[in-house]
Amino acid sequence: MKILIADDSRVMRQIVSRTLRQAGFGGHDLVEAADGREALDKTVAENPDLVISDWNMPELTGVEVLRKLRATGNDVKFGFVTSECTTEMQEAAEAAGAAFFIVKPFTAERFDEVFSPILG
Amino acid sequence: MSVEVVVKESDLAEMVEQVWISYLDPEGLNPLITTGDDAQPSDVHSSVSISGSWTGHIVYASSTAAAKRAAAAFLAVEVDEVSPDDIADVLGELANIVGGNVKAMLPAGAMLSLPQVVMAPESATRYPSAERVSGLYSVWEGEPVSVSLWQRREDKKDDKKEESA
Repeated sequence: MKILIADDSRVMRQIVSRTLRQAGFGGHDLVEAADGREALDKTVAENPDLVISDWNMPELTGVEVLRKLRATGNDVKFGFVTSECTTEMQEAAEAAGAAFFIVKPFTAERFDEVFSPILG
Repeated sequence: MSVEVVVKESDLAEMVEQVWISYLDPEGLNPLITTGDDAQPSDVHSSVSISGSWTGHIVYASSTAAAKRAAAAFLAVEVDEVSPDDIADVLGELANIVGGNVKAMLPAGAMLSLPQVVMAPESATRYPSAERVSGLYSVWEGEPVSVSLWQRREDKKDDKKEESA
């Protein structure tokens, strides 16, 4: 599968990649985006199977990216990895069509729990 | 509008402990040790601001050695392989993670900013309209690491008024 990891922190993108491997999901084709605009553009251009996105990013927030994708009929599996975990954000994510919501800091166990049903 | 929000040192300690368990000390070998010394020195710091239902800043500060060690642990590389950009990125992310967790304790309607990183001691940045309301001061393998919470003074005054009302 192709997975797009969107986060404005390069270090956090690396940690998400590493945690995916630690959780047993190595071997997937990983693509990275460093802000919301790039996440939107690359989701359209690269057609990933899964988008793992930060919330608070320059250019566009993660939920804005998701709303724009859904508005154009793109139904890619999309979810958030974010340090912010308020009820209002989780509700906004769900309403926009997010498949999961992972809070930073996260562990490989949490990744396993969330991504096992998605990545197998 | 202002609301009384109490994010105590123990709350900050719990958030920071989660960061250490997840990324910086997964084996539990080198935990943070609280000193309570709010005058401890720092070489670098990062912050995020929160505005809305609560307005203020969350500041992460440490020595350069602790920042390099944190970046090495985040990246799973040796300390001497860490670049200045890596250190800045990790410092920003540390403030962001703690800030996001603080925000989760606040009433709805708070916004979190993108992080700001300053490669200079914490004392180099002033928050003229805010005062420190909470702080976690500790050492990590002998190196200073702190997280502090600064609240806008206007809101603090409103809190006091509400308390005495």
